Amino acid sequence: MTRSAWWRRFLVRGVFWRQFLRFAVLTVPPWVEPIVMAFWSIFFLVWGPGRRGVMRNLKVIKPGSFAITNLFRCYRVFWNYAWTITDNVRFKELRTIPDWEFTGFEHFQEMQTREGAILLTAHMGSYDLGAQLFSETSARRIVMVRAPETDPQTREFEEHHGAESLRIEFNTRATELALDLLHTVREGGIVAIQGDRVTGSISSLPATLFGKPTTVPAGPFALALAARVPIYPVFVVRLGRRRYRLITSRPIEITRSRNRDDDFARAVTQWMMELERVINECWFQWFTFEPHWPEQAA
Amino acid sequence: MKVVADRPAARWLPSRHRFALARLIGYLRLRRSRLTSEQPEHLILSIDRDQTALEIHLVALWVFVTTVCYLAAALPLVLPLAIVLAIPLAAIVIHLPVVVGGPLLRLMFGDGNYIKIISVTTMALLLIASGYFATTATWARAVAWLFFAILIVNSLASVIVWFLRGAIQAAEERCVH
Repeated sequence: MTRSAWWRRFLVRGVFWRQFLRFAVLTVPPWVEPIVMAFWSIFFLVWGPGRRGVMRNLKVIKPGSFAITNLFRCYRVFWNYAWTITDNVRFKELRTIPDWEFTGFEHFQEMQTREGAILLTAHMGSYDLGAQLFSETSARRIVMVRAPETDPQTREFEEHHGAESLRIEFNTRATELALDLLHTVREGGIVAIQGDRVTGSISSLPATLFGKPTTVPAGPFALALAARVPIYPVFVVRLGRRRYRLITSRPIEITRSRNRDDDFARAVTQWMMELERVINECWFQWFTFEPHWPEQAA
Repeated sequence: MKVVADRPAARWLPSRHRFALARLIGYLRLRRSRLTSEQPEHLILSIDRDQTALEIHLVALWVFVTTVCYLAAALPLVLPLAIVLAIPLAAIVIHLPVVVGGPLLRLMFGDGNYIKIISVTTMALLLIASGYFATTATWARAVAWLFFAILIVNSLASVIVWFLRGAIQAAEERCVH
C-alpha cells in the first residue's frame, strides 16, 4: 500500500471511520453512549463541507433564521446522524432492534400485498436499518438501490459487514440495473430507492422543493411507469434513542397518458409534497450534507 | 432478540431496563399501566436491557456530572474556571477505558464484543475515584457520597427485585402474551 493510499483511510469517506464506529459499537457501554455521542457530534462540526452543506440547506428550510441558530440546528442534525449510523451498525453486529412505531400502517401492509412496488424514500433517519428490518420481516424480496462508496477500502468493508438477507444494487450501471430492477418488480419484489437527490450522472426530473427549483432521480418514476406499479413514499424517522417511526404515505400511481412528461410531472409533484412535509417536520433528520439546491451549490 | 407487538404497556417491562432501581420502577409502572392505553397504529417493542432511553440518559448524565465534579475538584484553578475546563476534559476522560481497554482486549483476545468488560472497568474506576474523593476535605466529597448513596439505593432495589422475581416474571408474561 502506498503512503497516500494509507492516509486516504482517514478522509471523511475513508474506511477508518467505519472501523472506528464498529469498534465503538462493540466496546462502549450503553450508559456512556450519550456522552460519547454528544462529544463526537461536536467533532462532526469540524467537518467544514458537511457543516456548510447542512447550514445552507437549513437556510432554505428555515428562512429568516440566524446563522448561530442554524449552527445549533446543524449540531442537532449531526447528533441524530451519529445515533442513526450507530443503530445501523449495532443492528448488523449485535442484532439489536430498535422500537418501531408505524404511521400509515394500512399503506405499508398494502405495499406488501401488491405484486411489486417501489419504495421511495429520502436520506432521513435510518434508511439502511429500515430496509434491513423490512427484508427480515417481510415475505417480499427487497432490493435496495444506492450510490456506491467512492473509497475502495470502504466499499470492501461495507460488503464484508453488510446484512446477508438484503440485496444491494449500485446506481452506477444504469441500463443493466434498470432491466434487473424491472425484472424484480415484475416478479413481485420491492425496490427501495432514495429519491431526494441526484448523484453523479444519473438521469433526473425537474422538481420544486421549498419553492426552489431542484431535480430528483428519474429512475423510480420511469420504473413505476414501465412496470405499472405504484410508488410508496416511506420515511424512517428517529424519535429518540433506539426508537423509530416508519411513515408510509398514500401511494403515487403513475397513470399513462399521451404525454409522458405530464405523467412524470404529476408524480414528482406528489412526491415533493410528501418530501417537503416530512422534511419540514423532521428537518433535523435530513442527512444531506451537500447543498441540495443548485443555486446554493453555485 | 425478542420483540413484542402492539403492547404499549411493554415499554415498562423490567427486562427492558438495566439497573435494579429502574427495573423496580418499571415493574411498578407495568402493574399500573392499562393494556388498552393509547398506542400508535402498529408498535414493535424490543426486549433488551438497554432499551429504555430515560434510564440510560439519566445514568449517562449522572456519570458525566460526577466526572466533571471530580476533575474540577482536582484542577488547581478557581472553581468556575475549573468547572468550565472540566467539562471537555470529562468527555475525554470518559473515553479512556474505551480507547485504552478496547484495543488491549482486542490484542489479547481478538475481535469481539467487550461491552461488559469495559462497562465493569468504567464503573470500577468511578468507584475508586469516588472512594478517593469521599475521604478528601473538598466540596467534591458530597458528590462522592451521593455516588455511594445511589449505589446503595440501587443495591436495595436489587434485593427487592430478587424477592419479587416471581411476581415480575408473571407480570411480564401477562403483558407479553
